[in-house]
Amino acid sequence: MRFLGPLLTAIFVALAAGFGFSWYTLNEGTLFGTISVGPWFAWEEAGTATPDPYTRAHVARTGALQLGASEGLHFVATTDSDGLRLDRDCRYRIDGTTPVATFWTMVPVAPDGTIITHPDGPTAFHSKRIARASDGSLQLYVSKTLSPRNWLEITGEGPFALQLNLYDASSFAGVGTAAAEMPTIIREACL
Amino acid sequence: MIRWAIWIAGGLVLGAIIHIAVILSLPLLITESLWTRVSTIDALNRPVVLAAPLAGEPNPLRLDPELAYAVCRIDLRQGPGVVQGLLPQAFWSIAVYGRSGTVIYSTTNRDGIGQVLDLGIFNAAQTRLLAEQQLDIAEGLLIVESREDDVIVAVRLAPPHQAMRRRFEADLAKLSCGNLES
Repeated sequence: MRFLGPLLTAIFVALAAGFGFSWYTLNEGTLFGTISVGPWFAWEEAGTATPDPYTRAHVARTGALQLGASEGLHFVATTDSDGLRLDRDCRYRIDGTTPVATFWTMVPVAPDGTIITHPDGPTAFHSKRIARASDGSLQLYVSKTLSPRNWLEITGEGPFALQLNLYDASSFAGVGTAAAEMPTIIREACL
Repeated sequence: MIRWAIWIAGGLVLGAIIHIAVILSLPLLITESLWTRVSTIDALNRPVVLAAPLAGEPNPLRLDPELAYAVCRIDLRQGPGVVQGLLPQAFWSIAVYGRSGTVIYSTTNRDGIGQVLDLGIFNAAQTRLLAEQQLDIAEGLLIVESREDDVIVAVRLAPPHQAMRRRFEADLAKLSCGNLES
């Protein structure tokens, strides 16, 4: 009987650590199988024929049409550049430059992948249809409230993510992420 | 105290084993996979243009709303697969997926293909026959070897503007997809 307490504790630790860590690695996706640049991360091998076990589990779990390695790379940000969760009640400014790609799109989505833009407005930013500064850098706004320049109106409550789809992104083909610059996400104000 | 530490360390080791088992077995246990989702669409040997995802509506395949998509399923047991057609002068790409949802092959029209899509998909046995020149294929066919017999092909097409989406989707619908006729 005196083993019962330690045994139950060990079983609890095993289940919590085993399942908890599995959930964490597949949901947060920043420990194994991913590349991170600032708040952005991508499952680097999601578009390859022989992904690592973590990426394979992620691919199976999402059940999505992943971008093939030759087609591009799909980045996600769930936090701003200060590490705070993206919240639909806040206005975000996305500043800077993107890696070299034929074109890119940026889509705000709910945690389940549902697009959260206003039904009567555009659903995404497209690199060929945004106003840029004279040096080519971009300044995008994602918020519920009216914002200047390039603005995507979002709806609803709670957390969200930004998906950045880089098509034909040669800068990630063997060069490494050090050379890749990703835009920063800055929280400006919250409701 | 040391005895408790040993039990907890044992629990952590068991947790690591559970974690590895979960990660490795997850692809086999998933019930809502890419394959099951595409199987609900009548896309066997025919291209099906997917509806553009709308704001506020479920988007299980995580489609990019700026792109037009066509998917088809091919059973390579019935013969080598082939996807052919003429696509507009815009960025397009093609990816071949296995049952597990992993990408077997992908390419874009920027790889010197131009507007003509002409892709053949062969399983291991058919690739062997191909190497032995026992299969007749058209010249210029882009050859992809698949380790699996069940494949999904997805063609992505990027309309320069949403006003052109309908015309681009019509072009995707005109693609041919299925087994190579002998």
